[in-house]
Amino acid sequence: MHQSLFAVLLVLLFAVTAPAAALDSKGIYQLNQDRVVQVRVLNRETGKKSSIGSGFIVGDGRQLATNYHVISQIVLEPELFYISYISNDGTEGELTLEALDVAHDLALLGAEQALGDAIQMSPLPPRGAPIFAMGNPLDLGLSIAVGTNGGILNQTDDSRILFSGSLNPGMSGGPTFNEFGEAIGINVATARNDISFIVPSRFLTELIERSTTESYADNVDLKAEVARQVIAYENRYIEQLLAGDWQGLNLRQFQLPGVISPTVRCWDNSAKLNAVARYKRYQIRCANQNHVYLDSDNHFVGRLSYEYYWLESDELNPIQFYNLYESLNKDQIETKPGREIASNFNCETWFIEVSMQEMKSNLCRREYLDYPGMSDVLFTAALTGHADRGFFVTLIMTGVDFDSTLPLIQKFLEETEWTP
Amino acid sequence: MDSLILEISTRGLDRYEAVKFGTTTIGRALDNDIILSDPTVAPHHLQIVQHSDQSIELTNLAEINPTQVDHQPIDTRLIGKLPATIEIGRVQLRLLARDHAVAATRPLAANRSNRHPFGHAYWALILVLICLLVSGTDFFLNSYNSFKWSDLLKYLLRETILTIGGFVLTLSILERLLVNRWEIRQMLTSVCLIYLLFTAAMLLANSLDYLLSASWPSTLLYFGWYLIIVPGAITLYLVHISHLPRNRSLMLALLIASPLALPSILQSTQMQLLLDNFSITARYHNNLSYLNWHLRKRVDIESFIEQARQLEAGQAAD
Repeated sequence: MHQSLFAVLLVLLFAVTAPAAALDSKGIYQLNQDRVVQVRVLNRETGKKSSIGSGFIVGDGRQLATNYHVISQIVLEPELFYISYISNDGTEGELTLEALDVAHDLALLGAEQALGDAIQMSPLPPRGAPIFAMGNPLDLGLSIAVGTNGGILNQTDDSRILFSGSLNPGMSGGPTFNEFGEAIGINVATARNDISFIVPSRFLTELIERSTTESYADNVDLKAEVARQVIAYENRYIEQLLAGDWQGLNLRQFQLPGVISPTVRCWDNSAKLNAVARYKRYQIRCANQNHVYLDSDNHFVGRLSYEYYWLESDELNPIQFYNLYESLNKDQIETKPGREIASNFNCETWFIEVSMQEMKSNLCRREYLDYPGMSDVLFTAALTGHADRGFFVTLIMTGVDFDSTLPLIQKFLEETEWTP
Repeated sequence: MDSLILEISTRGLDRYEAVKFGTTTIGRALDNDIILSDPTVAPHHLQIVQHSDQSIELTNLAEINPTQVDHQPIDTRLIGKLPATIEIGRVQLRLLARDHAVAATRPLAANRSNRHPFGHAYWALILVLICLLVSGTDFFLNSYNSFKWSDLLKYLLRETILTIGGFVLTLSILERLLVNRWEIRQMLTSVCLIYLLFTAAMLLANSLDYLLSASWPSTLLYFGWYLIIVPGAITLYLVHISHLPRNRSLMLALLIASPLALPSILQSTQMQLLLDNFSITARYHNNLSYLNWHLRKRVDIESFIEQARQLEAGQAAD
């Protein structure tokens, strides 16, 4: 009798302390098929889908997590669209927006009643571990994609996990599971060829916690909220840049800011010159990979890029040299929002003394009309006064608070050193 | 009394008819003394009588489009002062005294007249050579690879010879249609001068852009060139070379310049900005100059940052 009781206790103890058994994709699918739904943005007039994505049950069981970019149309045109879900068994219902994390492309939605058991969150498994992304690709039905964890990408400000698996349109906002069926992140983007990206679940956990203390009123200005979040994120990013140690790089006679943050990558961008060219040119381009989704017109902000250009010639006369130099000095911001999104640029010219050299500089600024306080900034500076050498830098920042960019420009110029 | 002269304005050169003492009739019918074939003229439209007391009496004979004198319809009118302006239908007439002064004779713009430099063949040739030299220099100054004669020749052919030749040919044909004359040398001289003037003006405007850190000098030149200088130059040509009246020359110049100017102006970024005040690109002063002459004061980094804080965003588009 005692032996039997001991055996039962031993089995119970083992059941409590032993780790859950690892599941294969079939097991994960079966475990979560009722907790992953299709999230849809519907036109109030036609009742038809305008955009689709995926979502999954979190928090108190009444909430659904998805990507901000899946439901961003209601930020732009709340009077025209509404959000709904349809579960795997065909149950449908309307959803309201409860919280946003624009910088990490997350949204928290709420249903009127509980939808089921919330999916548990988990930290990231080791690099190389199998992970499973669920969602509704191309509106074809719930499916699961198997891949491996490629780890946190530090070039994206720790906000992305590399998923070596296939995500397709419609899977955005769905959960990515570890092999125990716990959500380690949220599907967000793909670069094709089995290179996809996941938002770590810790950002979703923070958003759920925030939603318990904050909520959006019916008449909240969501665009202002989006702008506030983007600017706060960019300000933190710029503060980190300013606080960090900047690696230098040498470009002929200039010592310049190089990799100023782990989020930045620099590439040699020098064009291959024709053999008969009578000049030399060197180009280095540095940029971050922070793509913050802004709205359903596919506008992204959060870009920081700076490009250096050195030009020299022993053979061209000064007039020839400056004709060439001027023709190259024409960088622009790549993103081109329309008139309904952004204002015109306003530009001003200065001749600035930098490391005993004079640079003809232009600072340009435009603002986003519906997103208060958010600007795109373009700064250029071109070396003057040398007959056979030219140099210019172009610094671009998008979706930022203009005033917060000035210390960064100042540090850029102060870290620029001329070697005679 | 001396006989009168009736000046009949036409689209080409004006026509003059002597009005004899006594009664003269004007109209479209073939039994008139002076016949005007314009369909707005009545068969018998106007009668002019020179009385023995030297007075002149005009009598309207037309029911449709009655005669106007000095822009007033008349039945009968005694004319006391010459010249008098008369309208018969849409035909403009002037009644002049025989001793009415005529304009001074203009010298022919041809090499048989030494008083007009545009007519000399060698002057046209020199200007063509200067144009080729300027164009070749422009090629050289914008050539950053090893020099090739074949590239230079192609450039000269495309940018200078065909451009100038095309303008000369087109404008000469227009001139032939207008005044029934070929004046190739004068046209060549004029087009070359315009080409050189444009090159010099562009240089000056670009230098001013850099000096003032502004774009208005080149914008001003751009609009001024197409809206004022080109029509003005064509007007001068028509007045002084083709010997057309000033008003008509101005009208023709605007007509000729329009097809040249409108496509260029409408496609220009300056005009696009006027028509549509939104631009997705940043319009900054990217021009650079070896001379580096500028009126803006050089500032240190701190001053720049302080001043940059005042920079506002651009205006929203309409």
